[in-house]
Amino acid sequence: MKNKLLFLSSLALVFIINLFAGNIDPYYYTILIYIGINIILASSLNLINGYTGQFSLGHAGFMAIGAYLSVSFSTYFAPFFIDTFGQGVFGNSISFIILLLIGGIAAAIAGIIVGVPSLRLKGDYLAITTLGFAEIIRVIIQSLDVVGASQGFRGAYIFENGMKAAMIPADMSSVPYVFYSVPKYTNFFWTFAFVVIIIFFISNLMSSSYGRGFLAVKDDEIAAESMGVNTTKFKVIAFVSGAFFAGIAGALYGHFNLYINPEDFNFLKSVEIVVMVILGGMGSMVGVIIAAVILTILPEFLRGIAEYRMIIYALLLIIMMLLRPQGLFGVQLRPKKKK
Amino acid sequence: MKFGGLTCVDSLNTHVGKDELVGMIGPNGAGKTTVFNIITGVYNPTGGDVLFKDKSVVPLKPYEVAEIGISRTFQNIRLFQSLSVRDNIRVSFVKSIKAGFFISTFHIGNYLKEEKEIEDKIDELLDIFGLLDVRDEYAVSLPYGEQRKVEIVRALATSPELLLLDEPAAGMNPTEKTELMSLIKMVKDKFKISILLIEHDMKVVMGVCERIIVLDYGKKIAEGNPENIKNDPKVIEAYLGETHH
Repeated sequence: MKNKLLFLSSLALVFIINLFAGNIDPYYYTILIYIGINIILASSLNLINGYTGQFSLGHAGFMAIGAYLSVSFSTYFAPFFIDTFGQGVFGNSISFIILLLIGGIAAAIAGIIVGVPSLRLKGDYLAITTLGFAEIIRVIIQSLDVVGASQGFRGAYIFENGMKAAMIPADMSSVPYVFYSVPKYTNFFWTFAFVVIIIFFISNLMSSSYGRGFLAVKDDEIAAESMGVNTTKFKVIAFVSGAFFAGIAGALYGHFNLYINPEDFNFLKSVEIVVMVILGGMGSMVGVIIAAVILTILPEFLRGIAEYRMIIYALLLIIMMLLRPQGLFGVQLRPKKKK
Repeated sequence: MKFGGLTCVDSLNTHVGKDELVGMIGPNGAGKTTVFNIITGVYNPTGGDVLFKDKSVVPLKPYEVAEIGISRTFQNIRLFQSLSVRDNIRVSFVKSIKAGFFISTFHIGNYLKEEKEIEDKIDELLDIFGLLDVRDEYAVSLPYGEQRKVEIVRALATSPELLLLDEPAAGMNPTEKTELMSLIKMVKDKFKISILLIEHDMKVVMGVCERIIVLDYGKKIAEGNPENIKNDPKVIEAYLGETHH
């Protein structure tokens, strides 16, 4: 009961803040949205890497699926959404929920596909496999003209003769068309509503007895299996859940940036997310959230020192790992003392 | 059981009866832990079968073996190092949680009730073994003898009918070993389970086991009650050249 109350009031709070959030400087608003998206990305990876101990280096792949799929639907099927739900606040909200779910579920399915080989692979081998998977996704996207290939995607051209494309083909330059750009659905509310959702999801799951299964898999798979834990099931659940939220993050990103490019979801992006998890302390939700905030703000902070920005960023990470390798909050999510 | 060209366990034909306390002994490398690994599904035997209550357990995965009532401890203690004593035991209840993934995530329905039931069962077990005081400590921070106890309690929490103990007395001092012996007898009587025990310490084996199987180089060389085994010439020969206390 108390749990549900806290959850609903958090959502209400986010809703209220959103009403005023439109007034702040667009620059800070953007950073706020990216903070939220990164919290979702880092927390969802934490479930896979931090709590279940599966070293996944391809999280950007799930994000890419969520982004590209949701954005494809919101542009190529824009007429359907507009006709069915209208373009009022309510209609847009319904549309966006559907789009977010499309992104999340598609990514979750990919999570199953990636999760299955992970059952046999450990450590470095798993890392390379997940990295390979994310690269395959990226390369496939790069070859798909329908989503703009390597030029990126800003919207769909729907021609009067029924054709649809991401760019105007040379031989169709005189055919009338309607261009549906990616709608800017993402705002403070949607972003932080999902931040609240993922926080409750993970903390509820990990504080339950069921959640101990994940930690057991991380600590000692053989012992866990011998005590009756279906380690296969738990690993797949971790991948699927983590992928789902990464897909949501991707959909949020796509509908904020309004332009997506395969390079947004490359290996570097996966590493960025991994860094947040390691910096925060694998398996600590609070630590990972703080790390996500810091690592989103830091590059902006250092913008003034332009050329030295990346050097200082990298140096800070190195110093951090030397002085405190367990991360900011490198402690396990302690079991709550039951009253 | 063959690993490549090495026959690790060679046509072992034996049984453990209901409510029996059986010991398995033999020199190092005789294949005892391999037998445990075969029973619990960690290894797939290259030949032969393992029957539990007249059904073969060979096709089962380790977690399924635990589900049907066989549990174990390990030669090198395998406690979950990031978990407290209580949580180590809690893991054994995961297989029987009726609240699946969704209920555990949303904390709805019978969640609270079931969590309380699990909590009570854990405390009950901890109490029996005198571990209530340390239940929130990291399991691996306990002294060695206590860690072994936690591992046994964790295995018991799976509600097994057959408990496999792999060298539980290893690394213990004489006092701890005496405590262990009474603990093992208590477990058998109180929980009414069968126990198969691998052990090197003869005092422990002779003190608790009703029947003893002796392995050497993967073969069974003797089987019988402690008195017979103690005087069996084959057994004595197998142990010559082996230092034992």
